[in-house]
Amino acid sequence: MFNAIGEVRTALSAERYIPSDEIATTVFLAEKLGKPILAEGPAGVGKTELAKVWAAATNRELIRLQCYEGLDETKALYEWEYAKQLLYTQLLRDKLNDLLAGVTTLAEAADRLASEEDVFFSSRFMLPRPLLKAVTSERPVTLLIDEIDRADAEFEAFLLEVLSDFQVSVPELGTIRARHQPMVVLTSNNTRELSEALKRRCLYLHIDYPSADQELQIVNLKVPGLPPKLAQQAVEMVQRLRGMDLKKHPSVSETIDWARALLELNARHLDRAVVENTLNVLLKFEGDLQRARRAMIRDESDRSRRERDESGRPRRERDDEGGRYRGN
Amino acid sequence: MDQRVVDFISALRARGVRISLAESIDAMRCVEVAGIADKSFFRSALRASLVKEPRDLPTFDEMFPRYFGVEMPPPLQQPGGGMSPEDREKLAQMLEQMLASMTPEQLRRLFEAMMTGQGMSNSQMRQFLNEHTSAMQMTTGFQPWATRRAMRELQFDRLEQLLQELLDRLREAGVSEEALQQMAEAARENREALAQQIGQEVGNGLLQHDAEERRRRPAEDLQDRAFDELAHQDVDDMRTVINRLAAQLRTRIALRQKRASKGILDAKSTIRANLRYAGVPLDVRHRRKHLKPRITVICDVSGSMRAVTGFMLMLVYALQDQISRTRPFVYYRTIADVQADFQQLRPEEAIRVVPERVKGGPWQTSLGACLATFTRDHLDAIDRRTTVIFLGDGDDHLSPPNPRDFELIKRRSHRVVWFNPEPPYRWGREDNHMHIYGPLCDAVHHVSNLRQLVAAVDGLFG
Repeated sequence: MFNAIGEVRTALSAERYIPSDEIATTVFLAEKLGKPILAEGPAGVGKTELAKVWAAATNRELIRLQCYEGLDETKALYEWEYAKQLLYTQLLRDKLNDLLAGVTTLAEAADRLASEEDVFFSSRFMLPRPLLKAVTSERPVTLLIDEIDRADAEFEAFLLEVLSDFQVSVPELGTIRARHQPMVVLTSNNTRELSEALKRRCLYLHIDYPSADQELQIVNLKVPGLPPKLAQQAVEMVQRLRGMDLKKHPSVSETIDWARALLELNARHLDRAVVENTLNVLLKFEGDLQRARRAMIRDESDRSRRERDESGRPRRERDDEGGRYRGN
Repeated sequence: MDQRVVDFISALRARGVRISLAESIDAMRCVEVAGIADKSFFRSALRASLVKEPRDLPTFDEMFPRYFGVEMPPPLQQPGGGMSPEDREKLAQMLEQMLASMTPEQLRRLFEAMMTGQGMSNSQMRQFLNEHTSAMQMTTGFQPWATRRAMRELQFDRLEQLLQELLDRLREAGVSEEALQQMAEAARENREALAQQIGQEVGNGLLQHDAEERRRRPAEDLQDRAFDELAHQDVDDMRTVINRLAAQLRTRIALRQKRASKGILDAKSTIRANLRYAGVPLDVRHRRKHLKPRITVICDVSGSMRAVTGFMLMLVYALQDQISRTRPFVYYRTIADVQADFQQLRPEEAIRVVPERVKGGPWQTSLGACLATFTRDHLDAIDRRTTVIFLGDGDDHLSPPNPRDFELIKRRSHRVVWFNPEPPYRWGREDNHMHIYGPLCDAVHHVSNLRQLVAAVDGLFG
């Protein structure tokens, strides 16, 4: 698909996603080697988004499997459609009578029925779930296995067969091999340790919060109407919040939401009232909100003191903004 | 290049990064595909295929420049390249004479490398240092210091002297001053490169020792270390161990609950669910059992018990999603309800402040009185579905044993469990009243280390 890493970058950028070197290289390698990508990192840094834009950029269908505790094969792979089987048996009752006509013993009847068993356990009555869909698809697909860390360890073990050979075994039908090898993205929020075996089969991609420059690029791309000065201030604010000791740090998606909110509110610059009113878009815990507000007030009083100082004394070097919060 | 990547992988392994054979093969394929022209792509390719844990990323970032960075010593050059053929002939002759009579052996090899420009590969250098210096046997110490020591043992500073000697001889033989200067300069550059290489190898040796040392005592061993033997830095490690154990415990509990969720048949729900199958009961519904326990935990926060209490509370709060309600209490001379602290603060912070909620000092534990206060003020924390956990050594320095109030608690609760970090032979000696409370409990667990604590907590989710 891609011949150089630069092409990956262009293709993803065309889908309005700004990949770091790391991401572009990993996607390129995954594409070349046909290995799954395991993307780990804090919530909301664009792990799921990566799968979506990758699918869009390569013009593949995206099949998504959301993991949760208790997810098992019947939900992930396939399920027999009992209702349909039952309906068919009811409708085909006359045919079954014909089939069993002239049978004298029960054993003979069972044998005859057994010879027709294949009809009922065929792909006609199978309900494909995301994994089987990805394997049997006519067209190449991108398979997104979201939040794998939420699924149980058993399910992870079951995934190994799918991920290494891209084939699944259904006892009644045999082994089904993938026509096109799907491109797989697994995401994890790192709430639990994944097994070594799974990690070994994947290329590992750790996506962290972006740097200020990258985040500014992202905001400019996603919220085009925002005045550049305001975007700059907003990103600085978010970066500073990430330096603080909070229960949950604002993610990139929250930065974008916030930028949209600022745009909707027609804010011209970031003053205290605006921030007070919109901070709940960024921070989702009461404790975090209070902490951020306190830091902001302290920050402001510092600044006014500094301005007072500046008017009297020669200007001092500004101390490191981020470093001040690290201690609390 | 392949050799360099292999070296890099073994260095990462020595630092404790787990890399399987399959992964190193992947790394080679990745490098092949990504190419080595662009360093940042090359780096990302290695990183994606080799490092699978966020905690190993700093190690990778630290080691990468050592192997593929600017720190590579410059290649040696051949001194005397600009000389005329007969001068070079003389140089070779003189050099041979000098080398033939030179002692000790290691100095001879270094001088030869310096003057001929034929250096040693890293593994050769490592072997060379192993044979001739004690720097590679050192298990601790700073790299500059160890390097200086290795240099001294090799008599590295004599190289300059030898060079001068050679220059003098060549000068006598009539080689032009200009050619000599050029040669000396090249030789000195070679010497610097050798010094750099030695420094690097000594540093790698130290790192390797360090990694082996670390492997010998893995973090998991902390599970078996007694609580009172834990040093301060261990407590930080313990926190990570606790988080991991809590995750394990959670999966185990969740699985058990999933399997146990098949309670008795729910006839109504089954009929309703199977209407669409013409009443054939294909989809059998069961009534779910509610297995999530309610926990009231009453912890001793006297000096000796503080560490265990901290771990216990941390574990209980890490498992909040498996517990339907938690009521924490702490006691010393008095008893206090500390639920508010845990609601306002994060567990680690709350654990730090809760000991201040109660009065007491050394030898002032007053369990009997605290039980009386509890039954008077806090019995609402216990109902028939509550499991009450006492975490304490059972010491009581101020009041007589109070089995009456303990019985009251037991009657109202579902179960009473006691976790005691003291060894059983001390139970009932001196001020210890464990022999009175113990038999009244539904279960008593001796928890002297993390493994036992986790096993005991696991037992709560039967």
